[in-house]
Formats: sequence, structure tokens, C-alpha cells
Amino acid sequence: MLHKDRKLIIFLAGIFLIIFFRFYFLQIQQQQEYEKKAGGNSIRNIILNAPRGIIFDRNHNPIVDNRQIYDLSLIPFDVTEHFNYTLFEKVTGLEVNKIAESVKKKKNSFYRFRPFTVKRHIDFEKRSQLEENKLDLPGMIFSEFPARTYPDSAKLTHVLGYLRVVTEESAINPPVDLKYKLGDVFGFSGIEKMYESSLRGKDGTEYRLVDIYGIDHGVLAENPGTLPVPGEHLILSIDAKMQALVEKLFLDKKGAVVALAPATGEVLAIHSAPDYNLDSFAGPVPIELWEGWNSDPDKPLLNRVVQGLYPPGSTMKLAAAALAVEKKKVSTDWKVHCSGVYGFGDRNFHCWNTAGHGEVDLNLAIQQSCNVYFYHLMQKLSFEEWRDMVEQFHFGEKTGIDILGEKKGNVPNKDYMNSRYGRYGWAAGNLLTFIIGQGDVLVTPLQVAQFMSLIATDGNTYQPHLVKNQDTPAVQVHLQQNTWEFIQKATWNVVNHKEGTGKQAAVKGGGVHGKTGTAQNPHGDDHSWFAGFMNVKDKPIISLAVIVEHGGKGSVEAASISRKIFQYAEQNSPFK
Amino acid sequence: MLNKIPLLNNFLNKVIQTPEGLVIRWRIILPVFALLLISLITLKHTGDTQTLLTSTYYKQYIWLGLGTLVFITMQWFRFQFFQEYAYHLYILLFLFIVITYFMPAIGGAKRWLILGPFTFQPSEIGKLFLVFALARYLAEQQNRKREIPVMIITLLMAIMPAYLVFKQPDFGTAIVYGFIAIPMLYWSGIRSFYLFSVIAPVISIIAAFNLLIFSIWMTVLLVIIYFSQPRIIHGVAHFIANISCGIMAPYIWNNILYHHQKERILTLLNPMRDPQGAGYQVIQSIIAIGSGGLWGKGPGQGTQTQLRYLPVRDTDFIISVIGEEMGLAGIFIILFCFFIMLYWIITYAASISNRFSSLVLVGFVSILFIHFTVNLGMTVGLLPVTGLPAPFLSYGGSFLLTCTIILAMVNSIINHHI
Repeated sequence: MLHKDRKLIIFLAGIFLIIFFRFYFLQIQQQQEYEKKAGGNSIRNIILNAPRGIIFDRNHNPIVDNRQIYDLSLIPFDVTEHFNYTLFEKVTGLEVNKIAESVKKKKNSFYRFRPFTVKRHIDFEKRSQLEENKLDLPGMIFSEFPARTYPDSAKLTHVLGYLRVVTEESAINPPVDLKYKLGDVFGFSGIEKMYESSLRGKDGTEYRLVDIYGIDHGVLAENPGTLPVPGEHLILSIDAKMQALVEKLFLDKKGAVVALAPATGEVLAIHSAPDYNLDSFAGPVPIELWEGWNSDPDKPLLNRVVQGLYPPGSTMKLAAAALAVEKKKVSTDWKVHCSGVYGFGDRNFHCWNTAGHGEVDLNLAIQQSCNVYFYHLMQKLSFEEWRDMVEQFHFGEKTGIDILGEKKGNVPNKDYMNSRYGRYGWAAGNLLTFIIGQGDVLVTPLQVAQFMSLIATDGNTYQPHLVKNQDTPAVQVHLQQNTWEFIQKATWNVVNHKEGTGKQAAVKGGGVHGKTGTAQNPHGDDHSWFAGFMNVKDKPIISLAVIVEHGGKGSVEAASISRKIFQYAEQNSPFK
Repeated sequence: MLNKIPLLNNFLNKVIQTPEGLVIRWRIILPVFALLLISLITLKHTGDTQTLLTSTYYKQYIWLGLGTLVFITMQWFRFQFFQEYAYHLYILLFLFIVITYFMPAIGGAKRWLILGPFTFQPSEIGKLFLVFALARYLAEQQNRKREIPVMIITLLMAIMPAYLVFKQPDFGTAIVYGFIAIPMLYWSGIRSFYLFSVIAPVISIIAAFNLLIFSIWMTVLLVIIYFSQPRIIHGVAHFIANISCGIMAPYIWNNILYHHQKERILTLLNPMRDPQGAGYQVIQSIIAIGSGGLWGKGPGQGTQTQLRYLPVRDTDFIISVIGEEMGLAGIFIILFCFFIMLYWIITYAASISNRFSSLVLVGFVSILFIHFTVNLGMTVGLLPVTGLPAPFLSYGGSFLLTCTIILAMVNSIINHHI
């Protein structure tokens, strides 16, 4: 047995040997590797921005793409006395005294390795100019800042939405669960917001060795960092060409259009006019611009397709007609004499055609949009029955489209009327305005378009959606086949009969069905509606709703806009 | 001349001794001179500003002069005083550390007694007080049958101040306090198996963070327990204790350790975790040392250290500078000198029959050894960055003074007995 002093000494020697071998390993085995790294380097942490997902239309044309602008930062630790502030001031136009002072302050702080931003959103040209003088500006780095660009002529303003930067002052709170840091961008509205988590991707990080002269020696071998994970691309169901056409048709108008593929619920085109220019949002939004839009009486920020609430006008007559046929309230050849006016109680209710339509049956009443026929019909229906039918067609509820801020409109019931007007403040007379789609009945253009999809598909369509390849819930209405056929025939007549109110929407192939409408507007000229769908080879390929604000009576404007869309659809169908 | 001074006062009699002459044990002191020389050569070039008052290089001379004075004075100091008053000093240490809790924090830690312009870190000199207390206690325990209670009391004596220091917070000094007891217990003649029983739970805790390692360790533990042939009940208790330590470890990790301590441990395992923060010094230190090669770049020629990529290069990380500028050769000399010094102290300790003196020498060896090992280990990324300086190498007045006192007492004790 060894004495304990020998054991202790052997133990010490063992530990010292381990230490010695560690030094041997570093200084002899790996010496060359470390020698390369020595000679004055520092480690720089670079955030690699994940490219945001690109948004394509259904034919894979990019609608939203990325472009780079840059943020200029300084790393206090690397800013040496060689830093040429005069040059820096000349190129950037920044007040350098303050910058020099804060660099000095930060040099001694814990944050001396952390880049701090001195100028945001500089373009590629300016960056190149600074890069040329890199040797005089040690410690200067650029970080890429992802901005959006909109390469297609289809702007899709309201749907796409825009990005904002996470700033210290910003009162806007991005979703916390996605862990943003200052300077990150996030989807602030529209699709950009709705699909933020998949569009955003995951930022990477990179550690680089940089020597004291600011010269980059490449990525740190021990820890190359993590690569950014690009955001997922989104493919929209939008047809960019149709969208561009729709936007052109509405250039000097106010209103909304939405076109759906009835078989799938896909949105082919969607537009709210007036709109605004998304390109202005590339960098920070100028406050004046923002406030200008916000206070504009034309409300450019409002997405009328899902947020605009309008009386549906005569398009709503189709719901009453469906009820009449389905429940056999009247026979289809039950006739009413329209003299242009209908007396009810002590009030006179007029038909839009003050000369009167003469003898009309249900088909003719739809075709010529006779109000008096429907006033008579209403006497045979109950308020509840009518409301049930309207709700069956999914009015008064959100369609569930993937756009934020959708409104659900209003389908009045007795409770609503009682609370709105008092128990005795309303009467059956109000119901007469409801059946022709005026008064308290409020719908969004999207609901009307979905209504058309339901008629076109015998009540078998899908929830409207903008992003393709989703599991979309079915939207169904169960009515007898002859009811569907009657409505489809009647709407065909509206467009294709020589006395139909929707003649303006007809196309050569004769596949267009539809219904015109006038939304009464107490504040000015009435709004003009056209809602319809088109069959090609007996298959519905498109349904749409068009409203032109202040378009006046007669629906000429809305119908002729619709015709142009139908023509495009006919030439380009089937949609991929 | 001193012989002729009449020692009237009883107290002075206790404190002052009259050696026959100033005998210096060169086997121990010469290696220290070599270490100091290397330190001075290095410090000469690391100073930020080379003026007389601010340069660490010149200030180190002042500390060395003071140290020499202390060394010589200490030879007239009767070290038996420390045996007699070991427990008093030990209690004084407690008091001082508790008082630091009520002192203003410096750099986020409350380690210092602050009296006007003077600051004093009681845990520094406390290392010696702890050695005295442990040595006295162990020296008085001769009964082989009381081994387990003696061991437990000894460990408690070390762990209590260690915990107080840990809370200041001062992780490095706490490690020193905790460590000292182990070699001293070993030296006092305790059975190795008992000592193993103390160290085993620590390993269990560390091993608990990896299931595979934990399983292997448990197997090893079983084998050792089996061959040590303790009583069945002891063996089983031992095994259960270790398993529970392993289970407790995650709880301790989550609830007791401070964030920066966890960071240190995690960064130790992989300094690249945070190359700009916790791992920065270690990475820079490794680059500096690695680029030094066999012979180094020459004093003052280290690019890493001279371009100031390495903070605290003249205190905790002076080894990195030496490694870069003097290469493996310099490191070898340092390791060699240090080993020689410790070798002779241990050898002397073995031949001193007075248990207290012998144990004190081993306690001092422990202090020097743990500082040295932890410091070198951290500069090459083997051990966490705990802020323990390297004895006789790092700049720093109070620690250098502590080391000088240790050296002086070693010299004095050896002279007294041999």
C-alpha cells in the first residue's frame, strides 16, 4: 500500500497531466486552426431573415413577391477610431454627433456586440455606396428588411393586406406566440395577417468572424448557426387576369364585386372600390397617407365585399319565390294584376314600373322584377317562414371566408323588430319592404354571390375561400329539385328573355342566369345590383355578385359589368 | 536582538514567536518565484495604460513588496495561535459574511465589507480560517469508531460557510470552501469508502442529466459498494441515497440555481451556445491559447490578447495570455513549478507528526490546487467560468496577499517542526 501522501501526489499529477494534455491538444494538435482565427477577430451575430412566402394566383402567377430593402446598423465594439464619420454623414445624411456619442457609450456597455440600427429602409443603391467605403467604416453592417412588391397588374388590395414593423413605440401588438423581435415585420391585415404563421417562416442566425478592420472571415466553424426556413407559399384561388379586369371595370366607380366557382367555393375575383395603393406600405406608412384614407368619406379601407352592408334589393325576391314553390304556397301559374301600385293599410306600395306589368305569374314577376306580385305573395307567407328560408340561404351569418373582419348582415325577425321599433312600432307593411329586399334586410355582396352559387348547384356548394387546397366545409340547402329548376329557369329568363331586366348581362352562349336589384339608399342615388351565375355545357362555372354604389335604378351598370366578367369566364373556362 | 526584548504581555507571548533565524524553504519558494516572474513578464505588456499609478504591472510590484513584508513578518507569528483561536475565527468568518449581506452590492454581488474608501472581502481570508477550524476539529478526533459523525460534522463545517458565500453570490469561492474539506478528511485518515460516499452523490447529481450515463454510474456504484463490503444496511442506504440524489437533481436545477449559474454550466458544456455572451471569453481564450503553439508568439506579441479581444486578461484569464505568448512551453513551466511546490508541501506534511500542522498544510495545498485547477480548466473550456484567479499568476492584490500568507505559514510551520 502506498502512503497517503504518495496517493495525493499521484492524484495531483494526474490532474495536472489532464490539464497539460488539454493544452497540448489546443496548442499543438489544433494550433493551425486557431492561428487562422487569431489575428484580431470578433464574432458577429447576423440574423438571416426568412423570406416570406410568396402569394400566387391560381395559375401560379406571383401576386405578392419579396424585395429587399436594408437597415443600416453599427456594432459599437467594432467601430474603431478609424471610423470616418464625415464620410458617413455625407452618404447617409445622418446627424453623426449623436451617433458617435451613443457608439462611445455602448462601447463600454454589455451591448457592445449588439448591432444598433441607425437608419432604416435604405435602398440597394445607397447600400452599395456605403459598401464601397467599407474599410473606412468599420463596424457597419446591413440587415435585410423584407418588403413586399406587387408584380401583377391585379392589385387585390383589400384581400392581401400589408405588413408592419414591430417597433418599440408601436401600439400595435402582433401575435405573441410567434415570438417577434424589434424590427421584424408581421402581417397586419388581410391574407398577410390571416396566414401569418405559415407565410412568415423562421429566421435563421449566423455567427461570422470579422476582424477589427471589419473584414469578414466567414462563418464560425464551431457554430455555423441555423438556416432560415422560408415561409410557405400561398396559392390563391384568384384568377389574376379576371381580377385585373374587374379592377379595371371599377376604376372610376364605387362598389364591390365577388366571383366564385360554385362547384368549389373558390373565389375567382374579389374587389372593393375605391381601394388604395399597397406599394405605399413597403416601408413605414406615412401618417398623413394613413389618416387620409381613414377619414376619406369613400372609405377606401373598407372591404365592401365582406364588410359592406347593403339591402339586397330584388335579388332577395328569389328567396320568397323559392319558398312559394317549395311549400306550394301558390301555384306557379297563379296570376296577379300589377297596376304599378299596391295599397296596403293606409299606404301605397309602388312597383318600380309605375305603368304596371299587367297580368304576371311568378316566372314573369321574377323576370320583370314586379314588386306588386311579391306584395300579394307576401300575404300568403308568414314572417317566420320567409325568414327561415332567407336564413337557409345563409344570410344573416358569416360565410366563413378566410378574410378578416367579415360582417354577418341582418335578417330581421320579430324580436329584432320589436326591439328596434317597439312592439307596436312596426306592422305587416314592413314585411312588404323585406320581401323585395329593402329596409332592415342587410347583406354583404359575398353572401349574395354564395346565394347564386347555391342556386346554380341545386344547393351544393362550398364555403367561399381564397387559399386553394383547403378542406372547405360544404354549404348546402335542401330543396326539391323542381324548386331549383323553377328558380334556375326564372333567372335564365331574367337575362335571356327579351323583356328581362338583366338583358345587359347576357352573353352569346346564353348560359347566364341572374337577378337584378336596386338597393334603396336614403343618402343618395340607389345602388345597382346584379347577381347571377353562368353555365357552360350545363355546368355552373362562375357565380357572382356586383354592386355599383349610386349606380341608379335599372341595374344597367351592374349587369353590364357582370357581362364583361362572364365573357371573360366563358373564354377562359374551365378554370384550372 | 529580538531574544532580548522582554515579552511582558501574555497575549503578545501567544502571538509572537522567536525563530532562530529566517530559514526559507527554497524547494517551495523558488518555484513560486518562477511563477511570479512569468506573471510579471506577462503583465508588463497587458496593461491598458503604462503609467505608474494605473498600470497593473507596476501595481503588482507594490503588492509583491507588501507580500514580501508580510512573508517575513509572518515568520515571527506564532501559528499555534490559530489552533487555539480556530473556532473563534471560524465564527468571526460567519459574522463577516452575514454582514456582507447588508452591504451595498458591487457588480450585483454582496461580497464586500465596505468601510468608507476601504473594501474588504472576508470570504478571501476566510479560506484560511476554514482550514484552521477544520484542521483543529479533525486533529482532535482520534477515535476510529466515530468516523461517520466526524465526517458529517466536518462536511457541515465546510458547507455552511460555502452556502453563505454561494448566496452572496460567489460561486467560485463556494467551490473552494466545499472542496477544502475533502482532501483534509482524506488526510485525517478517514476510510476511503466513506469519502467515496460523499463524492458519489455529487457524481450522481451530474450523471442524472443523462439517463445512459446515470445507468452506467449506478452500475459502477453497485460494484464499488459490493467490493467495499460495508454492512448490508449501509450498502443499501448508500445506494438509495445516490438514486434519490439523481432524482433530486432536476429539481435543484430548476429551482435553486441562479440563471447565470445555469448559463455558466450550459456554456461550459458548449461555449458556442452563446458566442457573444457567456461563451465569448472562453472562445477568445481558446483561440488565444490555441494560436500560441509550442513556443508562443513572444511576450507582448499576442494578437488576440493585445488587441483586447480578451477581457479580464490580466486577472482571471492571464493563463490565456501566457498560453498565447509563451506557448505550451510556458504552460509546461507553470504546471511544473506548481507541481513541485505542492509536491514539497505534501511531502513535508507527511513527515510532520503534529496532526493540526499537517492538516493545515494539506488544507493550504487544497486551496492553491483548487484555484489553479479551476482557473486553468476554465481558460481551456474544461470547467465553468467561476472567476477564480490563478495563484501567483493573476493580478489582484488581495488574492496575492492571501497566497503570500499561505506561503509564509507553510514556511513557518515547516520550520517549526522540522
